[in-house]
Amino acid sequence: MARLLSTCLRWPLMLPLLRPGLLAPGLLFATHCFAESPIQPLHTDPVWLTLGHYQQAMTGGYTSQADDPDFFLSPAGKHSPKDELDATLRAIQADGEGDSHARCQFPARAAWLQQQFQLELPPMACPAFDQWTATLNAEHVTLVFAASYLNSPSSMFGHTFLRLDPPQDDASTNLLLANTISYAADAAAHDNELLFAYKGIFGGYPGVTSVEPYYEKIRLYSDIEHRDLWEYRLNLRPAEVARLLAHTWEIRNRNFDYYFFDENCAYRLLALIDAARPGTDLIGEVSTHAIPSDTVRWVVAKDLVAEVHYRPSAATSVSYALGQLPVAQQRLAVALARGALSVNAPDVAALEPADKARLFDATYDYVRYQSAAKKWPREHAAPVSHDLLVARSQISATTATSEPTVPAVRDDQGHNTFRASVAAGRRADRNFTQLTLRPAYHDLLDPPAGYRHGAELEFLRVDARYYTDNQSLELEQLTGVAIRSLSTRNAFFQPLSWQVGFGGRRTDTGSKRVLAPYLEGGVGGSWALGSNTQAFALATVDAEIDDDLNKGYDLGPGADLGLVFQHHTVSALAGVKRKAWLVDNLQRQDQLYVHTNWHLSRAVSAFAAFTREHHFDRYHTLWHVGLHVYF
Amino acid sequence: MKKLIAGAILLGVSTMAFAQPGCGVGAMIWKGQSGAAPHILAATTNATFGNQTFGMTTGTLGCNTNESVQSLALYMDNNFDKIARDMSRGNGENLDTMAVLLGVEQADREAFRSLLQNNFATIVPSADTTSGEAVDSIVALMLQDEVLSKYVAA
Repeated sequence: MARLLSTCLRWPLMLPLLRPGLLAPGLLFATHCFAESPIQPLHTDPVWLTLGHYQQAMTGGYTSQADDPDFFLSPAGKHSPKDELDATLRAIQADGEGDSHARCQFPARAAWLQQQFQLELPPMACPAFDQWTATLNAEHVTLVFAASYLNSPSSMFGHTFLRLDPPQDDASTNLLLANTISYAADAAAHDNELLFAYKGIFGGYPGVTSVEPYYEKIRLYSDIEHRDLWEYRLNLRPAEVARLLAHTWEIRNRNFDYYFFDENCAYRLLALIDAARPGTDLIGEVSTHAIPSDTVRWVVAKDLVAEVHYRPSAATSVSYALGQLPVAQQRLAVALARGALSVNAPDVAALEPADKARLFDATYDYVRYQSAAKKWPREHAAPVSHDLLVARSQISATTATSEPTVPAVRDDQGHNTFRASVAAGRRADRNFTQLTLRPAYHDLLDPPAGYRHGAELEFLRVDARYYTDNQSLELEQLTGVAIRSLSTRNAFFQPLSWQVGFGGRRTDTGSKRVLAPYLEGGVGGSWALGSNTQAFALATVDAEIDDDLNKGYDLGPGADLGLVFQHHTVSALAGVKRKAWLVDNLQRQDQLYVHTNWHLSRAVSAFAAFTREHHFDRYHTLWHVGLHVYF
Repeated sequence: MKKLIAGAILLGVSTMAFAQPGCGVGAMIWKGQSGAAPHILAATTNATFGNQTFGMTTGTLGCNTNESVQSLALYMDNNFDKIARDMSRGNGENLDTMAVLLGVEQADREAFRSLLQNNFATIVPSADTTSGEAVDSIVALMLQDEVLSKYVAA
C-alpha cells in the first residue's frame, strides 16, 4: 500500500549518521569562501554553483547534487562546473528555437550567462515555459511550515514547502488555488522497512520537485494530520520571484537523490531561495542535518520574511470552538455528535439563534474531525452531519465563529534544538559532575514556548559523569531515541498517552552498575488540571540486556504516575515510578522523582533534579543541579 | 504500489482530472509532470459527508461546456465537506474560492453566498448527495437568479 509520510525526517530512521560526508560538517558547503576572490573564474561564481547545485568537497573538487543526466549539458557536468558552464554557453548560443532549446530548458542559467557575458541573443519564445509561468501567476513566494502536532512527536521536525501567491488585488484568484512547490522522495513500495531506512540514510531514493494546489496541502496537513500551518511570506522582489520560477523549471522533474537528514524536503527549497536571491547562502547554514523548523529560523534570520500568517489546523480550530461553548452547550455538542440528541430537541431549540449557530458549527467540525481522526463510521457521521448543516443553513446569523488566537510564540521562535548541559550532583555517597549533549530536540522540561505541550522527542543524547572520588569518567546514559506524548483527555477527545525509547544506561545488578542496552515503552492517559498542568498515568514495560544479569536479560513491567507543569518561566515534572523486574533478580525498583527547570532566557535554563530510589532493599538518593544552554 | 515520503503529494484521482487537456484551471500546470505523476497515488480522506465521487448526473459538464463550472466541479469534488460547511454558514474561505472559480465579481458575492445558504437543503438534499449533483443544483439555482445567471451560462 501507498504510504504518505509528511515529515521530512522519520524518527525510526534516525540511526547512526554514517553517510560519508555527513561526518564532515562545514566542509561540503564552502562555496561562499570564493565570493570575495578578485580573480575568480566564472565557473566558481556562487551563482553558477547554486544553479548547478554544486558542492565543494574537502579535496577542492566539485560535485553536483543533481542525480540526473538530463540536468547537465556536458557529459562531465556532474563534477565539472567549468565544463558545464562552457557547454551551457555554447548551447544557449546555438541555432534553433522553441521548447527544446537550451535557453528554454535552462532559463535561469541562460539569463545569468547572458548578463555575465553581455550576450546579444535574439528574442526567443519558449511556449511551454512561458505558459507555465503565466499559469503559476506568482507575485510573491511564501514559505509554508507545517508545524508538529499533538500526539505525534515524530512530526516535531515539521515540513516545509513553497507557495506561489497570485496578485492579491486580483479578484479572479485566491490563495487556496495558489500553487505550491515541494520536494519529496519517491520510494518503491516493494522495499521493506530496512531497505527503506538504508536508502533513506545512504541515498537511493529519487527526489522529485512537484507543483500542486495549496488546497491539497491544506487538506493533507491541516485536515488529515491536524498540523497548524505557518505562512512566511518572503520579501522576494519580482525579478527574484521570476528567477525562482525559472530555476524551479530547470529542476522540475529532475532527480536529486533524497536523504532524510540533509538533502531533504527543506534543503532543496533553501537552494531555490538561494537561486532567487544570489548571496543568500541558506545552504551554507546546513551542516549535518536540515530540520525544517531550523531552516525556517535561518530564513527568518536572513531577513527574508515580510510577514507571517497563522492557519490553525482543523483540530486546533475545533478544540478552540468547543472550548468557547458554555459547559451546558458542550454537553449538547457531545450528544448531538453522538446522535443522542436531535437538532430539533427542546434544549437546542431554546437557544438564541447566534448560540445555536455556534453550537451547530462547532459540532459539525467535531464530527468531521472525529471522522477523519477516529474513523467514525460514515453511516453514523453522514446523517448527523447533514442534519447539522441543514439546521445551520436555516439560521441566517453569519457571525463568523471566532478564530483560534495566534500563538504568542511561533515554532521558529522557540528554544534552539541543540542542548548542552553541565551539572554537579551526588549519587548515594559519591559526588560527580555531569556533561550532557543532546543534538535534538525538546523534552517536557525545556522552555515550552513554540513547542507542543506534553510532547517530548530526544535523539542521540549522551550523559557522561565524572566521579570525583576515584576520578573516573563514566558514560551514564546514551539515549538513542526517547519519545513521550502526553495528550490530555476530555469529553470530546480521548487520545492515548504513550512513550517509547531505547539506548544504553547504567543499571544496578545488585553488586555493581553496568551499562546495559534498554528498550522501554508505556501507554496510558493524561488529564489537564489547568492550562499549564497535567497529570498522567502510564503502564510501562522495560527490557534490559546485559551479560552481568544472570539470564542475560531482564524484563520489568511497571507504572509511572506523575504531574507535569509547563510554563514559560518554570517547568516541573514530579511523580512515582515502579518497575517489577521479573526475570533476573525479582526485585522491585521504586522511585520518587522531582525535576525542575527555571527558564532564565530563551537560550539558558537552570535545572535541579532529585530522585529517591528503593532497589535491592537499599535506598539511594540522587540529586544534581546545573545549566542547560540551547544553541 | 509506491510509497511516497515527505512531500506527500496528493495528486489524487480527482486532481488528475485537471490534467485532461483543456479542462478547467490548472490543466497546464500538471501537464508535463509525467515524471512525477506515475509515482503518485491518491490519499483518500474518510469523507465525513457527501459522496466524493466525481459523479456528474446530467452530463452537462463535459469538456466543451462552461470551463469555470468544470473548475468548480473539480474543486467541490476535493473539498465537499468543507464547502458544504461554508455553504450552511453563508461564509468561509471556500465560498470565496468557489466565487473565484465561477468568476463571480465582488459586488455579486453577497448574493452568491446568500443563495447557497438559503438553498442549502436543495443543493445538498441528503447525506448521500454527490459533489456532482450539488454542482448541478448550484448551476440550476444560479441560472434562475437574475444577477447570478450570467456566470454559469454555457
